[in-house]
Amino acid sequence: MASGGPAHPAGSGTAGLVRGPEGVLGPQVLASGPQGITRTVDGWLAEAEAHEQAGRLEEAERILAQVLQAMPHYAPALHQGAILSHRRRRPQEALDRLERALAVAPDHPLFHRNICEIYRGLCRLDEAVFHGRRAVELTPDDAGANYNLGVIHYDRMEIDAAIHYARRALELDPAMAAAHFELAEALLVDGQFAEGWREYEWRFDLPGSQPLLPLKDKPQWDGRPMPEGTLLLIGDQGFGDTIQFCRYVGDVARLCPNLIMACSSEMKPIVLQQGGITQYFDRWEHAPAFDAYCPLSGLPRLFGTALESIPAPVPYVRADPAKVEHWRARLAELVPQDFQSVGVVWAGRPTHGNDFNRSMSLRTLAPLGRLPRTALVSLQMGPAMAQVAEYYGAAPLINLAAEIVDFTDTMAILEILDDIVAVDTSIVHLAGAMGRPVSVLLPFAPDWRWLRERADTPWYPSVRLFRQPRSAAWAEPVAAVTAHLARQAGTRGRGPRS
Amino acid sequence: MNALHPNLCACGSGLRPVRCCQLDLRTLGPAAASRHLLPVVDQAIASHARGAIAEAERLCLEVLELAPGQGGALAILYQIRKAQGALPAAEALVRRLVMLDPNNVWATQELALLLFGKGDLAEAEVHARNAVRIAPADPQSHNLMGMVLTEANRPQVGEFHYRRALELLGHRPPILLANLAWNLKNQGKMAEARALYQESAAAAPAVLQTLLGWARMEETDRDFARADALLDQAAAIAPDHPSILLNRAIVRGRAKDYDGALAILDRIEQRSPGGGLGTNEMLEKGRLLDKMGRYDEAFAAFDAGKRQNVAVSGTIYMAEHAADLAARLKAYFTAGRLRIVPRAKPVESGPRPVFILGFPRSGTTMVEQTLSAHPKVSAGDELTFVHDIANLMPRMLNSPLAYPEALADLWMGDQCEGLDNLRDYYLQRARQSGIMEPGATRFTDKMPLNETHMGLIALMFPDAPLIHVLRHPLDIVLSVYSNHLTHGFYCANALETIAQHYLLVMDLVDHYRREMTLKYLAVRYEDIVDDQEAHVRRMLAFADLPFDKRCLQFHENRRYARTASYAQVTEKLYDHSRYRYRFYLKHLAPVIAMLEPVIARLGYTIDG
Repeated sequence: MASGGPAHPAGSGTAGLVRGPEGVLGPQVLASGPQGITRTVDGWLAEAEAHEQAGRLEEAERILAQVLQAMPHYAPALHQGAILSHRRRRPQEALDRLERALAVAPDHPLFHRNICEIYRGLCRLDEAVFHGRRAVELTPDDAGANYNLGVIHYDRMEIDAAIHYARRALELDPAMAAAHFELAEALLVDGQFAEGWREYEWRFDLPGSQPLLPLKDKPQWDGRPMPEGTLLLIGDQGFGDTIQFCRYVGDVARLCPNLIMACSSEMKPIVLQQGGITQYFDRWEHAPAFDAYCPLSGLPRLFGTALESIPAPVPYVRADPAKVEHWRARLAELVPQDFQSVGVVWAGRPTHGNDFNRSMSLRTLAPLGRLPRTALVSLQMGPAMAQVAEYYGAAPLINLAAEIVDFTDTMAILEILDDIVAVDTSIVHLAGAMGRPVSVLLPFAPDWRWLRERADTPWYPSVRLFRQPRSAAWAEPVAAVTAHLARQAGTRGRGPRS
Repeated sequence: MNALHPNLCACGSGLRPVRCCQLDLRTLGPAAASRHLLPVVDQAIASHARGAIAEAERLCLEVLELAPGQGGALAILYQIRKAQGALPAAEALVRRLVMLDPNNVWATQELALLLFGKGDLAEAEVHARNAVRIAPADPQSHNLMGMVLTEANRPQVGEFHYRRALELLGHRPPILLANLAWNLKNQGKMAEARALYQESAAAAPAVLQTLLGWARMEETDRDFARADALLDQAAAIAPDHPSILLNRAIVRGRAKDYDGALAILDRIEQRSPGGGLGTNEMLEKGRLLDKMGRYDEAFAAFDAGKRQNVAVSGTIYMAEHAADLAARLKAYFTAGRLRIVPRAKPVESGPRPVFILGFPRSGTTMVEQTLSAHPKVSAGDELTFVHDIANLMPRMLNSPLAYPEALADLWMGDQCEGLDNLRDYYLQRARQSGIMEPGATRFTDKMPLNETHMGLIALMFPDAPLIHVLRHPLDIVLSVYSNHLTHGFYCANALETIAQHYLLVMDLVDHYRREMTLKYLAVRYEDIVDDQEAHVRRMLAFADLPFDKRCLQFHENRRYARTASYAQVTEKLYDHSRYRYRFYLKHLAPVIAMLEPVIARLGYTIDG
C-alpha cells in the first residue's frame, strides 16, 4: 500500500510499442520454417508472437531470426522483430530492425510511432521527435500518436508543444487518462497549477494503476470541514511524494479533527511528526471505519495551492536527537577530521517508470571524488548500492547505507552531513523537509515539481537544483555541483564533529 | 611404498610400513615388555658412538622390527637418518618419539629444529613452545623459540627468548649471539646487531653462518663495502660456498653491478653438483636480468625458479581451501546480518592500528615506510594477529563453530562483548611485540592479504583506517612470480594461480565494500610514484594525521622492512617498477583474459 502510485508520464513515457493488425503489409508467402515445415510467413510470425506473449522470448527470437534471414526485407517481420528486441532490452537491434522496416515502408505510421519510442528511450530526442511528427502527419486523428508526440516534446522541454499535443489527443479521445496526466505534468511544470491539479486527478485512471481503496463505498473528501466524521488520508504515491505532501496534514487536521492515515510503515516516523493524526495503519485489514477519504497527493488541489502560495513550513520533519548522537559518533569514527562530509545518492528505485531518466551511475559522480578534504558518504540503497565497490576515487567513500535501518537513521544522518548531492529521489524530499542543504541533479526534463529553469524550488528553501542542459548530459550539472561544494568547503570550518 | 624396496616404508626409515608410518600406536606393549632388547639397544648406541654407523643401523632396525616403540633405537636411527639427509625418515622417527613420550625434551627440540629447517614455522612453533613448557630452564628450548619466532616475523618475542637463553647459560656463546644479532637486524636495530656480530666473530671468527648473517646485515644497512669484506672473510673459510656467492651476487645487484652479480650466479650454477641453481638463486638471476632489460631470459629464470620450487617443496595453490574460506566469509558478512552484530568499542587509550592492505607486491611496504616515517606512527610490519584471532576465535568466543561462523556467538548474553576481547587481544599482542615507539599514537599492520579479513577487522576496529594499496594487476602477478612468497594459500608458484587468488581476494574486497560501512581508502601505487606529496597528504589526512614532510623521504627511514620489498624501499621513489608488465605481455598471456575485467574496473589499461 501507498508506496508506489502511478508513474509520472515523463517516466511511463509514450504508450509504448504498439502492434499493428496482422498481415497488413506484404504478401502471404510460403516459406520453409525452422522445422522444415511449410507454412505461411505470417503463420511463423503468429507462432513467434505466441511465444513472445507467453514470455518465451528466446524461442520467439529464434523463429524471427530465421524468418528475417529468409526474408530480410519483410516489413511486418522486421517490425515484430523490433518489438521483440525491445522486450529483450536490445535497443540498438530494435532500432536497426525498425529502420529497415521503414526503408521498406516509409509511410507506415505505426513504424514511426514505435521507432519514436525507441529513440526516446535512447535519449535521441531529435530522431524521436522527427518520427513522432511523421506519425502525426500520417495519422493526424490518432490520439495515441498525438499523445506520444506530446511526451517527446515534454522530454525536449518544449512545454507549450507538449500541452498542445496533449490537448489535441484529448480532443480526439477525451477519456484518455494518459493524455490527461501528460497534460497535468506539462501544466504543473509550467507553474499552471490550477488546471494542472485538476488534470492530475486522472492519475488514478491510468492503465495499470492500483485502486486507492479496496472498496469504493465512501466519498472522496471535497476539502470542506468535517468536524464530526472521520477522514482517511491515503499515502498514495512514493516516499518522496508522501514527504512532500505531508506538509498539508496539519491543515487537514484543523478541518477534520478525526483524521486517520493509511500509509507505508516506513513513512510513519515522518508523517506522524505533522500532528493531528489520531490513528496510523499500513494494512487495510487494520483500517477503522471512516466517512470520507482523500489521497495525500490530492491535497495541493484541495487547498488551492498556487505557485505563489506553496506552503513551506520548513523544517516540518526533524531527526530524533538520540539517533543524531549515535550517528554523530559513528560519523566521527569514519570521516577524517576536518573533512567536509557530503552525502551522495545517485539512483532511485529501479522500478520507477522514469528511473532511466533520473538515475545515473556512481561513476558519473567521479568529479566529486576529486574534492579536497571531502568524504563522500553514500546513502544509496537498493541494487545501485553495489556500485560503491567500483569506486576508486581520491576522496574516501563511506558506504553508510549498509548500516541504515530505516528513515529515522537517514534523518539523523542528514542532520549531521555538511551537504547532500542526490538525484531526484525521496532523500531530496527528506532533506528538503528538514531544511538541510541538498543539491539535486535533475534530468533535462524533470519531474513537474521542480518546475522550469530555476535553480531553487518554492517547495523546499534549502534545495539547490542543478539541471542537465540537454538530455542525458550529466557532466555539466555534476561539474557545477562540484564547483559549488568546493566553494562551500572553502567557507566551511570543520566537518561533522564540530 | 618405497620404490627401491617395495616392502619398506615410503619415508625411507628402512623399517616395514607396519613398523613405521602405518604403525598403530595402540598395539604397542608396555616399555617393560621389550626390556630383553635393551642389550641390543646398548650395542647400537655404542656402535653409533664409535662411528660404526652400518652396525648401529642394523641393530636399530632389528630392535624396531620387534619393538617399534623402543625409544633408544628410534633415537639412534633418527640420528643416523638425519645425518644421511634422509629428512622424511628422520621426521617420521622423531615424531614417533615425541608421540610416545611427549615429555621427551631432546626429541621435542629435535623435532622443532627439523621442522624449522624445513620451513614449517607454524608446526615448529608448536613444538618449540612445548619444549619451553617441559624444560623452561633449558637454554636450547629458548634458543629454538628465538629462532622460530624471529623467522615467523615476531622478532620481539624471539628476542625475549634469546635473551632468556643467554641468562640461563650464564655465558655468551658466539652462535647464540649471532642468532640474537640476526633477530635485532630484523627489528632494524642495526647498531646493536653489529655490536653482537662483532662480539660473536671475535669469539669464533670462523663460523660461516655468522659472517653470512653479518654481511647480510651490512648489506641491509647499505654498507656494501663492509658486506663485501665480510663475504671475503667467509670465502676464506669456505671458498665458493653457494651461500657466500649468492650473498655476493645480492650485494653486487644492490650496488647496481648487474653484470658482476650475474657472473657470480653463473659460477654458482657451474659449480653446483646438479648443474643448476636453486629457487632463490634462479629468482635473483631473473630479477637481475630484468634490471638489465633482458626480459625473455628474466622470465625464463623466474619460470625455472618457480618450477624448481614446486619440485622441491611440493607446494601447490590450495584452491579449494581458498574458495571455501571466501565463500564462507561472503555468506557471513552480509549487510542484513551485520546490522545486528555488535561492534567493538573504540580504542580508548594507547596507539591504534592503521591497516595497510594489499596483495603481496602491491606496494604495501612502501606505504608503511612512508607512514612510519611520521613521528606519530610506529611500523608494525606484517602482524599475524588478525590471522591468529581468526584461528583462536572459536576458543575465545566459546563457540563450537569455526571462523567466521563463530561470530554468531556474539549474540549470546555472555559473548556480546566478545569483539572487545578480540580487539584487546590484538592490542595486547601489538604492545607485547615491542613495535611501539615513544610518542606514537598509531601503528601500522601491513600483513599482506589482510583484506581477506577486512570484515573482521572492521568489527574489531570500526574506526581504524583501512588503506588498500592498488597496483596494476599484471604488475602484481609478474612481481609475485619473480619472488619467493608463501602468502595466499601458496598461490605464488604459477601465473594462473596468482591471478586466480588475486581475483578471489578482490572479489572479497568488493563484497565487504558493498555490505559493510568501512573507513576505506584505495591508493594506487602508480599515483604515489606520479605525485608523491599529494597522495602522502591524502593518506595522512585519511588517518587523521597532520602532514609531516619526513614522510616524503621514506627511503631515509632507517627502519628495516623485513619483506621482499626491503631493497626497493630504501631507494627514492622510482618509476621503473610501474607497468613493467609491458615488457612481459607475451609471457603474461595466460592470465590476461582472466584479469582483463578487473584491470578495466580498477581503471587501468593494458598497453603494449
